[in-house]
Amino acid sequence: MLKTSPPKWADRFLEWYCNPALLEHIQGDIHELYQRSLRARNGRMADCLFIWNVFRFFRWSNIKRSRKNSSSSFMMYKNYFTVFKRGFVKQKGYSFLNIFGLAIGIACFLLISLYVRDEYSFDRMHAKADRIYRVHEIFESDGVGERSASLPFPVAEALQNDHESQILKYVRFFNLQAPVLPLATIDNTKEFHEARLFFTDSTFFDVFDFRILKGDTKSALSKTNSIVLTESMARKYFGDEDPMGKYLRFHGNTNLLVTGVLEDVPANTHFQFDFLVSFQTLKAFYDGAFPTSWHWNPCWTYLLLKDRESAAPLEAAMPAFVQKYFPEFIRNDISLKLFPLTDIHLKSHMDYEIQPNSSLTTVYVFVSIAVFVLLIACINFVNLSTARATKRAKEVGMRKTLGGQRAQLITQFLFESMMLCLLSVLIAILIVAIALPAFNSLTEKNIPITILLERYFLGLLILLPLSVGVISGAYPAFVLSSFKPITALKSTINQERGATFRKALVIVQFSLSIILLIGTGVAIDQLDMLQQSDTGFTRKNIIMIPVTRSPIAKNYESLKAEFLRNPNTLSVTGVEEILGAKHQVGSFLFEGLTESRPFPRLNTRHDFIKTFDIPLVAGRDYSEDIVTDDSLALMVNEQFVKQMGWKSNEEALGKTFDQRSNRVIIGVVKDFNFTSRHQPIRPLVLDLNTTERGFEIRIKYLAVKISGKDIPETISWMQQQWKAQIPGWPFQYFFLENNLENLYKAENKMSKITLIFSGLSILVACLGLFGLSTFTAEQRKKEMSIRKVLGGSDTEIFMLFSKRFFLLILISNLVAFPLAYILMKQWLATFAYQVNIDFTLFLFAALAAVGIAFITICYQALRAAHTNPAEVLKNE
Amino acid sequence: MDEIEKQAGRNMNISAVHAVLTRLEDKGFVTSKMGDPTQERGGRRKRIFLLTASGKRALEEVNELRNQLFNQIPKVALQFKLV
Repeated sequence: MLKTSPPKWADRFLEWYCNPALLEHIQGDIHELYQRSLRARNGRMADCLFIWNVFRFFRWSNIKRSRKNSSSSFMMYKNYFTVFKRGFVKQKGYSFLNIFGLAIGIACFLLISLYVRDEYSFDRMHAKADRIYRVHEIFESDGVGERSASLPFPVAEALQNDHESQILKYVRFFNLQAPVLPLATIDNTKEFHEARLFFTDSTFFDVFDFRILKGDTKSALSKTNSIVLTESMARKYFGDEDPMGKYLRFHGNTNLLVTGVLEDVPANTHFQFDFLVSFQTLKAFYDGAFPTSWHWNPCWTYLLLKDRESAAPLEAAMPAFVQKYFPEFIRNDISLKLFPLTDIHLKSHMDYEIQPNSSLTTVYVFVSIAVFVLLIACINFVNLSTARATKRAKEVGMRKTLGGQRAQLITQFLFESMMLCLLSVLIAILIVAIALPAFNSLTEKNIPITILLERYFLGLLILLPLSVGVISGAYPAFVLSSFKPITALKSTINQERGATFRKALVIVQFSLSIILLIGTGVAIDQLDMLQQSDTGFTRKNIIMIPVTRSPIAKNYESLKAEFLRNPNTLSVTGVEEILGAKHQVGSFLFEGLTESRPFPRLNTRHDFIKTFDIPLVAGRDYSEDIVTDDSLALMVNEQFVKQMGWKSNEEALGKTFDQRSNRVIIGVVKDFNFTSRHQPIRPLVLDLNTTERGFEIRIKYLAVKISGKDIPETISWMQQQWKAQIPGWPFQYFFLENNLENLYKAENKMSKITLIFSGLSILVACLGLFGLSTFTAEQRKKEMSIRKVLGGSDTEIFMLFSKRFFLLILISNLVAFPLAYILMKQWLATFAYQVNIDFTLFLFAALAAVGIAFITICYQALRAAHTNPAEVLKNE
Repeated sequence: MDEIEKQAGRNMNISAVHAVLTRLEDKGFVTSKMGDPTQERGGRRKRIFLLTASGKRALEEVNELRNQLFNQIPKVALQFKLV
């Protein structure tokens, strides 16, 4: 067959791009040339030439101009706005529902993003924050030991000496390991126990950027016996007077000169303090020089590195450093790690943190909740808009007939959805402003409303309506603009377009809400279990009295005797840390070990297990009659026996320690949770300490078990006895169970917040369901009326109406259950003690969802069942 | 296009010709009208360009300018002798 026509695709390409006015003669010309070249040469050359010409003609002047008429676009938007306003006013109910649902979703999103941003902003106010690292010490063998955030005194200086090129400065914090320290004005008119007093190096201001109001950062902490305090502390001790140059009496015997006043420490730092005392002052406490022990690790140590890249090589040099300086018996169990300052708040979960930190998982959970709620709100929006699409069919038909292009229609509907979103955002901001104080108290933060004016949030606020508007509005826009004019104008079609898609969306909505509900339920369960379940020792009715460094040493026995005289005081003992919250670690060399190993340890006084009702499973308790108990005897717990590989508790009795045959284990106690239930029970050594010096650092608290009767009287009686024995030292106390609740503060907060937000998400989902059902009721008015006329009973109509929605909820449940299960298992894995996921919870959540949905639909279903058919059908 | 090929020996692309003619038309030097459809072009009409009076004048001006410039070249510059 002879080739007579040029390649079709090139031709079509030309037709596509070419301006119609020029198309005819251009196309004609190249066809003519084609024929000529066909005659002159062969077909292939002609083809090539043709294609070449087509591409050569692809010039700006030949290309189709878009048909948009830009001059009238301003007027068009004005028209869109007018139409939007009219539509809004005409259907106030729906529009309001739509906006309100979206506003709630956006408000939740905003609140959570405020929270997350605050969490991420911790410690970033320091200019050198990216070069500041904290050194952590991990002292472990066989997985038992401590992961400490604090180090021995000499480490910092030795590090800087050895690695001068990398470490610019170091700062240490030390608070005598005392929970509170006493401070008073020089004339003793005001005296308080301060919990946030720290000793720190003079390089403090070189590393951290806290604003100083009075005084000079270079010299404020360089001399011995100087103290720097915050504004509110200055007011507390000195009223309105200028504190500079005045003295404060520390510990009843040391006068500290005030050399500076700082601005109050902002909430978003991982450690908060009220007082800083110069490090040199400590020398007086330790006989003229800093402690040189490489074993005792009480100082939080921060390093300012030359640059970020120095961190990795420095950390690599740590093992050698440890070998060089640390004493032989612990050298091989210690590793030092560098931890960036900005990561501490969210990621550091070491022992002996200055303050409890938040966790990254909580942040992730909140972010996912925020996204869920926003998604549900957007789905609402999409659903309602598409459902109402048919009402606007005529308008779309008219616009298309009068020359509107599809692009214009899409623009119109996107514009409308963006306007709705804008209104929602405005309402959301209002909701956030109102809810912020409550939210602040719930999350224990202090987020000011003005933070919304920050660049980041302004950007977010502008981006939100745009993106949510586009995402939520895209589908309805496309659906609406696709109406064919003829079918749209011909008759009022009540056919529901895109019903399946809407159903899918409702299923997604409700699944998300159900997952949130189940999640909340599991979180609450877990929290309950953590808090309530048996920790193995008594927590109720135990009063703890901080006694560190108080002059109780000489009077302990007499004080104890006096306390016990009251019939309501059942038992008195002393303990190293708050039982159930914290413990210390000590190195012990037991029979069967080649070198001493770190073990969790608690120093106690007599009657420890009696006070806390800890059962003794083998051997005997420490006895006041046996004087040598405090140096020749030790008690351990069951887990310890297991860890050492001894076959029974009885076998443990008589095992020696410290390589002396007269030092033996005398008793084994039942396992109890001496630290929070975030961790499993580890081996424990209970060490009796009856020395007077013990009160300086080993025994921090007195624990008094009371009977629970006449508590106020018992306490005031104890206070009297205290005053009599130890005058000049304020009596402070707290209940053990109150304190232990704080262990689970993070989970508590989280469960409260998830509860509120899942409630909100169900609310939003139901708003959507309500709107949808209202709409469907209207749509199917005629159908229902006809059914009634033909003899359908009220109940039948009701069931018919509700059935389709119930099916959707049922499917949502089925979808949600496995997903919720998987997510919950993952979250629970972060806990050492996990609650069993209760399946009745799933059932309960399902019922709750069905119930709430039922109530929502009920109203509409009833109305549909009770409409007078005559009213509806009279126009037919 | 064919003439240039025949006389000057160089190829011209049809789209270049179109572009030039369109520019000349915008300047008013040529006018165009649609010719008759032919079989060879698949039934499409051809655009026929005709010179206008101002076009003729422009041509003459250009030609005149060119000659003027050429005449100003000194004879000496045009003589190439082997030295």
